[in-house]
Amino acid sequence: MATQTILEVRDLTVELATRDGISPVIDGLSFEVGAGETLALVGESGCGKSMTALAVMGLVPHPIGRIAGGEIRFGSEDLVAVGEDRLRDIRGNDISMIFQEPMTSLNPVYSVGEQIAEVLRRHQGLNHKQARQHAVELLHAVGIPDAAARVSTYPHQMSGGQRQRVMIAMALACKPKILIADEPTTALDVTVQAQIFDLLRVLQRETGTAIVLITHDMGAVCELAERMMVMYAGRKVEEGTVDDVIANPRHPYTQGLISCVPHVTDDPSAERAPLVEISGIVPALRDFGADQCLFAARCRQVVARCAAERPVSNDFGSGHRVACWQAEVAS
Amino acid sequence: MSDQPAANLLTVKDLKVRFPLKSSSIFAPKRYLYAVDGVSFSVTQGQALAIVGESGSGKTTTALAIARLIKAYAGQVQLQELDLLDLAGDDLRQARRRFQFIFQDPYSSLNPRLRAADIVAEPLAAMAADAKQAIVDELFQAVGLRPEQQRLFPHQFSGGQRQRLGIARAMAPKPQLIICDEPVSALDVAVQAQVLNLLRELQRQRGLTYLFISHDLGVVQHMCDQIAVMYLGQIVEFADRISLFKNPLHPYTRALLSAVPRVDPAMRGKSQRILLQGDPPDPANPPSGCRFVARCPVAEARCHSQPPALRRLASGQQVACHLVSDDAVSPLG
Repeated sequence: MATQTILEVRDLTVELATRDGISPVIDGLSFEVGAGETLALVGESGCGKSMTALAVMGLVPHPIGRIAGGEIRFGSEDLVAVGEDRLRDIRGNDISMIFQEPMTSLNPVYSVGEQIAEVLRRHQGLNHKQARQHAVELLHAVGIPDAAARVSTYPHQMSGGQRQRVMIAMALACKPKILIADEPTTALDVTVQAQIFDLLRVLQRETGTAIVLITHDMGAVCELAERMMVMYAGRKVEEGTVDDVIANPRHPYTQGLISCVPHVTDDPSAERAPLVEISGIVPALRDFGADQCLFAARCRQVVARCAAERPVSNDFGSGHRVACWQAEVAS
Repeated sequence: MSDQPAANLLTVKDLKVRFPLKSSSIFAPKRYLYAVDGVSFSVTQGQALAIVGESGSGKTTTALAIARLIKAYAGQVQLQELDLLDLAGDDLRQARRRFQFIFQDPYSSLNPRLRAADIVAEPLAAMAADAKQAIVDELFQAVGLRPEQQRLFPHQFSGGQRQRLGIARAMAPKPQLIICDEPVSALDVAVQAQVLNLLRELQRQRGLTYLFISHDLGVVQHMCDQIAVMYLGQIVEFADRISLFKNPLHPYTRALLSAVPRVDPAMRGKSQRILLQGDPPDPANPPSGCRFVARCPVAEARCHSQPPALRRLASGQQVACHLVSDDAVSPLG
């Protein structure tokens, strides 16, 4: 990537205390986000995608979770080391987040305009009148019709797609450098999803915000992202440009994730082969952190070494990195 | 079961479901919302028919009305010789063996106080214990659960396993028709493939007929032989799976298909998306002409005044749009 790096996560480890002891839900994770790019984090639920986002936002659930090691470099600062006050300045201002469920992430007792205005007053020091005026402009920018009137409506008076637009307006109110979108469209219909994707693309072009898109939908990845990182059991298993990874996935988990979903084609054949399954499910938290490949139990290409040694990440050119002992053999 | 592949197992005629709306005063005339407004289709024995559409289009309500889980206001539902909407009491209970339901949410659709074996055996209440056990054993194997898991309670299963349990329960009374309402949308991607493969395999082995409700067009393309597209309580297009994806006719179907993100790096940034503006109109006040008129990119004057009827074209596709020509050319080209 020629662009400059704005977020650099190095050897991040996040531990959760469970009934079975302490588990590393994020296990030595390193990645970078370039200015203005879109990076997709992909994996099944329970692979640590959302926890990664929470760690970057300084929102790891306390006291059951804690950042046990590593650093999150944002500009000249390490977000792991800075205090809660500084984090509060950064959240919503430099790094902001939109969530999966647009109903539960808005406050039901305040109007949407007030909720957007609050961000502007807190971070930009605007007064009430200015903040409200700016909230109207933001609602207009995210495509809410008749924004001047809708600014005083409440979340329950809006449809799911409109609520997600409000969340986006709120998240982009301060023109953040990074927007983390955690499954922003899973609760929405496909036509609304397409509208939201287009909106994100346009706003990104205008503001130069980098987007970290968390999803399990390869379609969404292809639609929005330039680079992608596949996570499994708290570790990065594959990373590269979307074109490289989708066209030539080298990790068996990535291959499975791409081929296990029936994708729409314009020219369906009469014959339908069974879907390629990834057997089994994500390992339990107590098995995280073991010194082996954690995907070995579900992998079709497993060899003895997979259960004995933790795979190291190898570069296959142009930033396509894969952590699998069999990756070279397979290619 | 009959050997004629063309026989219709389920025929739905002009089905309507309405819900009363709150009125402003007790003297005001009663107003109704027609969630399903004149839906007709038939499902061929041994095939899978999908109803697709956005949330609020009435697809789940249609399924619930067919299964007699909510009351239909008008219409006819014919399961072979049985008129389902006319049945009541014991006759209905007997008939329920022939159509079963698989629900979307595997967490809330299983009784948390029953053991897995009892959940699967529940539809078989009248049978002798050992006959019941034999069926439960067989079903556990068929859906890929281990025999020792029969003793467990639902919370001890993963989401995918619970959905397998739901499938086993639906199979227990040896139904002819299974209505699957979003059977995989609550499951993780990798588990979805396992459940979809299982459903296809069971259909092949047992000659089952599926009525499949889904908003996921990829799943529908993989699972179903015929597809009905619903918009605001009505079917706007009905076609076999190859025609529907190759040559979608109705502007709404076009828009719906173009909105699905494609997993093909060669296609990136090249999709010809038909972007629909806004949200679907309020179903309590549907537009007087075509229901899609406000969002349709090619609407004409007559679309605002005359509601288009679903008509069958020479190609066999059925479409409800004034602007689709008789030789199956979409107004969008």
